[in-house]
Amino acid sequence: MNQSLKDFYFFSNFLNRNAYNSSEQRLGKIIDLVAERAEPYPMIIGIVVRPRGRKQRVYLTWEKILRIEPQITLSEDDLRAPQPSLPEKDIILLREEVMDKQIVDTFGAKVVRVNDLHFLRVDSHLRLVHVDVGFRGLMRRVGWEKFVDQALRWLFSYDLPNQFISWKYVQLLSGSDLLQLSVSQKKLSHLHPAELADIIEDLSGRERSAIFHALDTETAADALEEIDPKIQKALIETVTAEKASDIVEEMSLSDAVDLLADLPEEKAEEILEGMEHEKAEDLRELLVHSDETAGGLMTTAFLSLNPGVTVETAIARLRAEAPNLDIIDYIYVVDEEEILQGVVSIRDLLTAQSHQLLSEIQTPRVVSVKPDEDQNEVVDAFAKYGFRALPVLDEQNHLKGVIGFRSVLDVLAPEAG
Amino acid sequence: MKMEKNYVKWVSSSRHSLWRTVGLFFILMGPGIITSNVDNDAGGITTYSLAGAQFGLKLIWSLIPIMIVLIVIQEMCARMGVVTGKGLSDLIREKFGAKITFYMMIGVFLTNMGNVISEFAGVAAGMEVFGVNKFISVPLSAFLVWWMVVKGTYKSVEKVFLVACVFYISYVITGVIVKPNWGLVFEQFLHPKLSLHPSEMTMLIGVVGTTIAPWMQFYLQASIVEKGIKIEDYKFARFDVIMGAVMVHVVAFFIILVCAETLFKNGVRIETAKDAALSLYPLAGKYCSYLFAFGLVNASLFSASILPLSTTYLICEGLGWEAGIDKKFVEAPQFYGFYSLIILIGAGIILYPNFPLIPIMYFSQVLNGMVLPFVLIFMLLLINDKKLMMEHTNGPIFNAIAWMTSLILIGFTLLLLIRMF
Repeated sequence: MNQSLKDFYFFSNFLNRNAYNSSEQRLGKIIDLVAERAEPYPMIIGIVVRPRGRKQRVYLTWEKILRIEPQITLSEDDLRAPQPSLPEKDIILLREEVMDKQIVDTFGAKVVRVNDLHFLRVDSHLRLVHVDVGFRGLMRRVGWEKFVDQALRWLFSYDLPNQFISWKYVQLLSGSDLLQLSVSQKKLSHLHPAELADIIEDLSGRERSAIFHALDTETAADALEEIDPKIQKALIETVTAEKASDIVEEMSLSDAVDLLADLPEEKAEEILEGMEHEKAEDLRELLVHSDETAGGLMTTAFLSLNPGVTVETAIARLRAEAPNLDIIDYIYVVDEEEILQGVVSIRDLLTAQSHQLLSEIQTPRVVSVKPDEDQNEVVDAFAKYGFRALPVLDEQNHLKGVIGFRSVLDVLAPEAG
Repeated sequence: MKMEKNYVKWVSSSRHSLWRTVGLFFILMGPGIITSNVDNDAGGITTYSLAGAQFGLKLIWSLIPIMIVLIVIQEMCARMGVVTGKGLSDLIREKFGAKITFYMMIGVFLTNMGNVISEFAGVAAGMEVFGVNKFISVPLSAFLVWWMVVKGTYKSVEKVFLVACVFYISYVITGVIVKPNWGLVFEQFLHPKLSLHPSEMTMLIGVVGTTIAPWMQFYLQASIVEKGIKIEDYKFARFDVIMGAVMVHVVAFFIILVCAETLFKNGVRIETAKDAALSLYPLAGKYCSYLFAFGLVNASLFSASILPLSTTYLICEGLGWEAGIDKKFVEAPQFYGFYSLIILIGAGIILYPNFPLIPIMYFSQVLNGMVLPFVLIFMLLLINDKKLMMEHTNGPIFNAIAWMTSLILIGFTLLLLIRMF
């Protein structure tokens, strides 16, 4: 079929253009293009036309188009003949679901608005290859592209560039794609949790929870740790208690405590009950402390060993438990009564002989803080000594927890989290 | 920040339901009250002063229907913001496409630009009553506005704004100082007189036009979204909107009252709000005059801080540019570019000698009138979109009221446009 296609098209080349039959009678206006839902570059399989003088929309398959230039010509004589109905599944209505909507650019890791779509001809079909998010695309939609182009060239000798994002990096946020997110969320899992968190913060409530629901437990937990506390709270309240328990279980102790402390008591209790018993107990202990004291900042996910343990065993233990630890920079040496004897840094550990005992290589003088100490004093202590973690001791020198550097950053720059 | 979090938790877990309600309201209030008060800007104060000085208390009854109209329209914005979590320009772009949004943005930009110019003119005029030269007051206030946005966060800025709202009380005080005959005042409300005299009609249309402007809907919805109010707490946002509308009209009432009791009774003709403040000096005393001028400066500065920012936000959102005061210049060049441009032009024009201020204001009023019908119709179409609003669309009765209100308002603006030509 010879449709006299050019190599490239934009969506704006089709939208609102008239469609004619072969005897040059106007049949209607093109109001949408239909793409198959396929990776990586979906093919355009049809058009939606609003016939003249009628409200009913008509779907026509791509093969019904005879020519696109100089005017769109259809093989049908009129649009009254019954047409195949629009497939219900695995299609994207480009105007309704993509044009002018916000999308996630998973390559640049940000939320952007679609100004136009860019198609590439492959044989007699078009494939959707790029999303245009630039000013040029916007001007094309408004109909000022040529004018702006010439004005800029004449004034500044500046060529307005296209700003394209490849379709394979596009995650849609609207329409049926939102429902299918869990299938297509592979694109999102490429993102760093912190980037994912920024994107989630940028979205409106509905899109936020849809994306969040689609993430697997582990990714959800990682992203949640990075999200603003207020949004964190709102998100966790939208998932079922069961899923919330799973997610909180995956979070680091100190982040989980902060989140639970913000929730209403009944909700927090419900989440704790659904969790693994041991982790829930740890969290309950930490929850007792006020937010703004050393006790509120500390975590119990650290490694403490007896003085008689050899370096070799200590390294093995550290390796085994590292995935569940918040603090891996230091090993804390305690006696049977949990009284702190000294501290061994990971550097000490790596440079010592494997048969040496921890008591031989430990630093016995340890800087520590009290559980009820104000958070600002904790910050000062970090600044003064430059440690990556500080132990929290009660009056009798029992080791209650450890404050990691990250928690201090949250105090210093809460907005940046 | 942590303090506030504890406070919220404390309030929402409070057993005493009255305290809980009052507390939650204070946490969630802001957007409605601020938007309405910004509405009482330099242009608003001028219009109310003129209404009072020319017609006395004759038009004062109209404040009540205008207030109801304002509540109906702003309630819809607040509801859309809470339900969709998106700004009005976002929603318009997504539903009506790029072309129409682009032209509307141009319109909103130009009208808001006109408003910003009049705010800086208000600052200059108000400070001149205190004997401060405009070459000092205008650059200083422009810098202040700049600084607040570049250095401030939404939360701290909102607090400054809420404090600015309190200063509107200066008009209430002047109202009490002039000792009006309260019996007569209430008489006016009980027996409204609608006259079709052209000059009165023009003034009435002017009062409506200055009270309901397109930018307010964008700003209100954006700040509701920014505040992240949840659907469960919507009733507080609604109360906030109603409170704001009532407050703005109480202030308007006192401005009209002051001018009616002094200027109108003594047959003083005025052209501007500054005239009003100066004419109050011999009639009602030095303090009354100063308070009036102080109110004008406060209102103008307040609006001059909000308008450029809200204009920039809505344009960037509608056209899909990066926006936000927490971004760096290279990340959001359009955002900072527009923002600086609006303030620079706004303040610069006032300093330019013999600038034709009146025709500019006139033009901005015309544009205002042209943009408003579109915004209202878009709003009504959006709020009745089931896909978007789910079960929170307008009910049949409210919808009838909303359409009727909008049509009346559109009629009024068209009348204004016709009168201008």
